Order: sequence, then structure tokens, then C-alpha cells
Amino acid sequence: MRKLLSFVLVLALALVAFLPALAEDSADVAAIKERGKLLVGVKADVPNFGFQDLGGEFEGLEIDLAHKLAEVILGDANAVAFTPVTAKTRGPLLDTGELDLVIATFTIKPDRLLQYEFSKPYFIDAIGLLVTKESGIKSFADLAGKTIGVAQSATTKDALQAAADKAGMTVSFAEFPAYPDIKAALGAGRVDCFSVDKSILNGYVDDTTEILPDSFSPQPYGIAVKKGNTGLLAVVDDTIAAMRADGSLDTLVAGWTLPAVDWAVVDEMSVTLWEAAAALAANPTDTPAPTTK
Amino acid sequence: MTGPFSLHNWQAWFSDWSYFAEGFLRTVYISLLGLFFTLIIGLIVGMLLCGRNRVVISICKGYMSFFQNTPLVIQIFIYYNVLPKLGIRLGIVVLGVMGLALYTGAYAADIVRSAIRAVPTGQMEAAGSQGFTYLQAMYHVVLPQAVKIGLPPMTNQAVNLIKNSSVLAVIAGGELMYCADSWSGSNLIYGPTFVMTGVLYLCICLPISLLARRLEKRSTRNV
Repeated sequence: MRKLLSFVLVLALALVAFLPALAEDSADVAAIKERGKLLVGVKADVPNFGFQDLGGEFEGLEIDLAHKLAEVILGDANAVAFTPVTAKTRGPLLDTGELDLVIATFTIKPDRLLQYEFSKPYFIDAIGLLVTKESGIKSFADLAGKTIGVAQSATTKDALQAAADKAGMTVSFAEFPAYPDIKAALGAGRVDCFSVDKSILNGYVDDTTEILPDSFSPQPYGIAVKKGNTGLLAVVDDTIAAMRADGSLDTLVAGWTLPAVDWAVVDEMSVTLWEAAAALAANPTDTPAPTTK
Repeated sequence: MTGPFSLHNWQAWFSDWSYFAEGFLRTVYISLLGLFFTLIIGLIVGMLLCGRNRVVISICKGYMSFFQNTPLVIQIFIYYNVLPKLGIRLGIVVLGVMGLALYTGAYAADIVRSAIRAVPTGQMEAAGSQGFTYLQAMYHVVLPQAVKIGLPPMTNQAVNLIKNSSVLAVIAGGELMYCADSWSGSNLIYGPTFVMTGVLYLCICLPISLLARRLEKRSTRNV
């Protein structure tokens, strides 16, 4: 009996050990292995997420994630090539195949899920408001009738518009290509408020500005891959799940001085997002039009 | 079909056409006003360049050198972010019109000057001998002939001005390019967006270009 049990155990162990090796790589993952390098698009100007220092080295939470994925796929954490991307280039670079992954503070939205595959969120962050001290603005309510500066391709506008509608107040928005442009516009009094995710906003506080106590709906960040590259997506999702399970993702987040993630909220939000995307796919004309300023 | 040009993406673009129509109208509006002031600046500076006052000529040349040799995007950025610090806060449309007119005006002045110069000096002398003052001679004799010479290159500048208005997208100008950036940035549908934005610019610029070509043909025929 004992012999039989140990035999079964050994067999089971062998199976577990060999199963991953037996599983065929999907075409997208096989292509990366053949190349021997993982091509990742990252931000170069967002401290703690993706930031390129003066020596040309990239650092941040998203850079660490890329190294981890290279280790999982290629067995070498350094087999990764970084390309700085902007909001405008990150989509097309995936479509042309010049990048395998984009890990660039990319917020998951239902209509975006129709364009690219997104991993489950690896970080979540609430939206914050930055104002100048001399403006006398003390809360979101004080922004009625004012202009809020947001980044193009950010989901900030949608979230704040929803909050304003709920409060029965009108606000207008001005969108800018990059965060420094918004800061310059705030300094020049062109906009009354600079709004983006709080961890990014923290990098722009100085003596003359302050972050308001208000927080708005959290924005989930996901890793994007080209539509149809589901094999690669599965690897990414598995890796994130594993890093969540063993706590290494939390350690990374804390290491970059970012606020801890409430994974229960993330899971709940993920369900809603993917359901909304499925509903949208069934009826494309429902895509909400952005509000004109 | 998937990819950036999928049917879904085209449907999504066309269902939001009114958003782009608003940006398109704003581009037309800013361009028309910009063109109007470009012509005024071009005419005044161009005529001053043909005068004899050396100080005025150097001021005009300084203006042209500066505006022709710095990028429009930097000029616009300065109007937007630096002028408010000096207490001058211009609305986005006024700023756009002014920026485009000052920039294109520097080229228009060159065109006006060379067009006036291309009219034989005998014309001015003849008008003077008939008792015309300098301004009268300019208005009744020289300028009507100069217009024929200067119109084709001026039309090209008009096309440039319309295309350059897209620079206002970097300061949240609300015109066509801004709408395209904003809309596609939000939902990542960039395929149809930039194709159609290009088509809309083509709709304004192509007729003007064709007009320029016809004017050019006519002016060379008359010479």
C-alpha cells in the first residue's frame, strides 16, 4: 500500500514537473523565445513607474515587472529591451509588432479592451487634484465652472466628469500631451487644477501648489499586448497572479514608495471592466463621445 | 476583422462625427481669421520694406528673421504659458489667430515685398509724374499689378497656415487635431481617426491649392 502510494506520488510529481514543458508555446511566445529578447514599451517620464535617468537607465515598478516577465519567458531577467513610449505611440507600436508588451501606466477601460488585450491590473490608483495655493481652491466643489488640466489618453476626464455630474456642477477640461505641459499651464493660470493619478501627481507638488484631500474613482493599470496574442497574455496574467500570491508584487509596490493595493477592489473592478467591454463589443455605437471643452 | 482599421472602429468614428465636426469648424474659423490678419501684416510690413526709412526696414527685417527662424510650436507655447506671467491672458482663439498671423505674416511680408519689387519702377515714376502721392500711386497703380504676381505664392501660405493650425493641439486648442488626439487617446481608435482627420484637412487645403495652381497659370499667361 505504502509502495503504491509513493509510486502515485512520484508519478504525480513527475507530471507536475513535466506538464509545463509539454505544453506547446503559442506562436506569439515562441516568436519572443526565438528572438531571445522581450520588447517592452515603458514610460520614460513617470517617476516610480517608468523613468529614464540621465545615464539612460530605466527604473520603476513597471521596469521591474518587465524584468520579471523576461525571466519567466526567457529565463533571463536582463533579456529585455526598453522603448520609451508616449500615449500616442504605445498603441500603434503594439499593432506593428515593434513591441511585445506595453507597461506604461496604461489604464484599462472597456472601450480600450476592444482594441488591445489587457492583463489583469497590477496597480490601482485614485485620481487626485493639484491646485496652486494662491487660488484659494480647497475642495472639488470649489472647482465649479473652472477648467481642469488633464493628460490626453488619461481616463481622468471621464472619472471627474462623472463626479461633477453627480455633484450637479459643471467643469471644463483642457487636455495636454504630457504632464509637464499641464504643470506649466497650471503655473500660468491657464488651468485651475492639474489632475492625474495621485502617485504621479506627487512628483509635481512644490512650494506653491498643494494636493486637495479629494480622491476619485481608482484607475487600474494593466499590461497591454496586441489583440489576438492571447498566449502571451496568459503568460503575463499568470505571472501577475503568481506575484500577487507570493507577495512579491506588494513588496515591489512598497519598494517604489507607492500606496499599497487593495486587491479585493481590483478583482471587483476587473469583473465590471471586462463585462462592460463585452457589452460594448455587442453594440459599438454605444462608445460614449468625449465631452467638448 | 480586428486591427486598427476594423469595421467596429469605423462605426465608432462615424457615430461620433459631430464631435469632429465641431473641431473642424473651429479649425476653419481660426484659419479664416488668421488669414485675414496675415494679409494685413503682410501688406503693411511688405510695403514698409519697400520704403526708404532704414530704421523701419531693420525693425521689419528683425520681425521677419525672428518669426521665420523659430518653430511655431515654441512661439505658441510662449504666448500660452509666458504671457500670462506678464499679466496678458489671451483666449485660446485669439491666441491661435495671433500666433498663426504673426508667423505666416513674416512670410507674407516677403511675398508682398517681392511682388511690389517685381512691378517695373517706371510705373511708380509715371504715377509720380502725374501728381500721385506715394500712397496713391501704391494703391491705384502698383498694388493692382503686384496682386497678380503675389497671389499664387500667397495662396500657398494660406494652405500652410491651415495646416499649421494643428499646432494648437499642444495647448488644448480645441481644433480638429486636438479633437483627433483627444478622441483617439481615450478609446485608442487611431486608425480611422487620423485617416479621417487627414481627409478633413485635405477638404480645406486641396481646393485652395488647386486655386493657386490656376492663378499661377493665369498670371504667367498674362506676362
